[in-house]
Amino acid sequence: MKQNHSVKKLVAAILLTASGSWAANALAQEETDLWADAWEEDETPAAPWLHGFIEQAAGVRLQNSDYNKETSVMDSRVRLEASHYWQRWNFAAKGDLYYDGVLDKWRDELREASAQTSFSRFDVKLGRQILTWGTGDYIFLNDFFPKDWQSFFAGRQDEYLKAPSDAIKFSHFTSIINFDLVWTPEFDPDNYINGDYFSFFDRSQGATAAPSFYADAPNDDEWALRFYRNFGSSEFALYGYDGFFKSPNAIDQQGRYTFSRLQSLGASWRQPLLKGIFNVETAYYLSADDTHGDNPAIGNSQWRLLVGYEQELVTRLTGSVQFYLEQTQDYQALLANSPAANLEPEENRTVVTTRLTWRNQNDKLTLGLFLFYSPSDHDSYWRPTASYRFNDQWQLSGGVNWFEGRDKHTFFGQFEENNNLYARVRYSF
Amino acid sequence: MRKLFAAALTSVLALAHTSAFAETDASVRDIVKKAELASYYAGDDGRTEARMLIVDAQGRKQTRQFTILRRDRADGGEQDLMVFFSRPADVRDTVFRVIKRTDADDDRWLYLPGLDLVKRISAGDKRTSFVGSNFFYEDVSGRNTELDDFQLVEETDSLYRLGATPKDPSSVEFSRYVVEIDKTTFIPMQIEFFDSQDRLYRKVQALKVETIQGYPTVTYSRIEDLLNGGATEMQFRHIKYNLGLPEDIFSERSLRTPPRQWLELGQ
Repeated sequence: MKQNHSVKKLVAAILLTASGSWAANALAQEETDLWADAWEEDETPAAPWLHGFIEQAAGVRLQNSDYNKETSVMDSRVRLEASHYWQRWNFAAKGDLYYDGVLDKWRDELREASAQTSFSRFDVKLGRQILTWGTGDYIFLNDFFPKDWQSFFAGRQDEYLKAPSDAIKFSHFTSIINFDLVWTPEFDPDNYINGDYFSFFDRSQGATAAPSFYADAPNDDEWALRFYRNFGSSEFALYGYDGFFKSPNAIDQQGRYTFSRLQSLGASWRQPLLKGIFNVETAYYLSADDTHGDNPAIGNSQWRLLVGYEQELVTRLTGSVQFYLEQTQDYQALLANSPAANLEPEENRTVVTTRLTWRNQNDKLTLGLFLFYSPSDHDSYWRPTASYRFNDQWQLSGGVNWFEGRDKHTFFGQFEENNNLYARVRYSF
Repeated sequence: MRKLFAAALTSVLALAHTSAFAETDASVRDIVKKAELASYYAGDDGRTEARMLIVDAQGRKQTRQFTILRRDRADGGEQDLMVFFSRPADVRDTVFRVIKRTDADDDRWLYLPGLDLVKRISAGDKRTSFVGSNFFYEDVSGRNTELDDFQLVEETDSLYRLGATPKDPSSVEFSRYVVEIDKTTFIPMQIEFFDSQDRLYRKVQALKVETIQGYPTVTYSRIEDLLNGGATEMQFRHIKYNLGLPEDIFSERSLRTPPRQWLELGQ
């Protein structure tokens, strides 16, 4: 068994090296051409383009875990991207193939396979695509597109926080208001923490665990809607959603995790204020399968509010702060019916986040610190990061994911045995 | 202490200059305005492809390639700008959108395609690197001419040499700069920046000027960091003015779906 793993790792290493030297050769060729007298004419829209990167990521736990391996992430990854324009349609594909050294298997992820077209005031994009909207920074109120929390906590690149949707996006633009409608025929859940990489507080057991579970996802569709427009420098948006909670929030009659129905309405406003940018966003989550909040197996309705501000503090150092409130509705009904009231979330869960980003003079080195701190839950999540871009091809990044908490059952506190340190080296082509 | 002395000396000199050339103030302002219009406001709108070669002090090279769309809301006033990056691979499909304002901070957005994220960027120091190059954001979008005082230093057959000092010296890294403006095209051909010790540390040059649709246009420029070493060259091609770019393409829609008909080669 052990030998088998070594062979796989070796294959991954060879693949990585082989594609690396191929890409390096291709690029050496390109670089000579690039600043020659003639401009390259190879970006004609009719020519398909192949791009991508190869990347090695490695990470370790910073303490022993009773549930997971010492290795927190170990990816040997190849990304390929291509796009082609034909008959007013733009076809785009992005896919990853990687050897996952934590799960010890080859994995693939098709991140985009879409067709997009525009006609006058309408845009349509069909197929697999990454979708994002809303004003929060790592906090999502009205963005119900799938997130990949496993990648986020493991220190994969930020891009992987967003998981793809299989959807149709229809957009209409007018001088009065713009409109986006996204229909996802089959519910796309988050890539939630399920024990594969990280242990968590398992409510069904009342204890920390890493069961490697897959919740029962409903075979139903999702609708997401956004109206938005700008007035001068101010941006306003209204949002609607009809679907399901994106991470498992309910337990079915057989005791398995599942997703209950969710309907939401929300709004956001973002504009310059003083020397920076101010934003406020709110959403009301109606837990449609438990509208009175008296079913302890299903999460309650919530009212969510976010207020944020970002400003450059001194040259090349930017700071931001966000205040977030998650208010559970029908809280007395929840407590009255809960089999373990002491493990329920606070009625008003509050989170403060701060972000500091510093760049050096030539923009090559970026240092960052993102902190989530919850005064109500007495827990926190620290994300220091560093990234150095050597040139147009090579980039080295690293960081720490550090969780602190007073209790084992709170949102960040439950991950205390998963503190990790990671590094990534990437070659782009 | 030395800094304070230098500052005092500078302001005395500035005062002296102001009085000596008091009678030419109006015409100096006129030259500066014409140079601003020639550099940043040619036509009612414009499109160009640009590429940069960034060479650091150790001789290591980086490149950037992008297409710029611009539309003037008013000549010498507010502008809409969009910058669509095509190279290198790690910034491909990134889009930068700016509403340049004259009486308030610019509005700036960055579209990150990997996340489908429209990130709003707070107004920052405009004298920091533009996409890792030696050019500053302000070199690309244009420094507000109201922020500096100008004096005519010299007038030759072919150019005006102006000396400029910042009205708020604490807001910039230079103590003064000298700009040479071509008398026929009003294109600034060279700008030399001096630091607080009056050392020449930064030099911008227009290496090639071509007339396109009647507008003299810089098609090749270079900026050098004379203290730390390193330089960036920028070239432009496929330049077109007065395309009739519609107002509504300068929008969030174009961040996600670039307006292909205006970006394609040979427009």
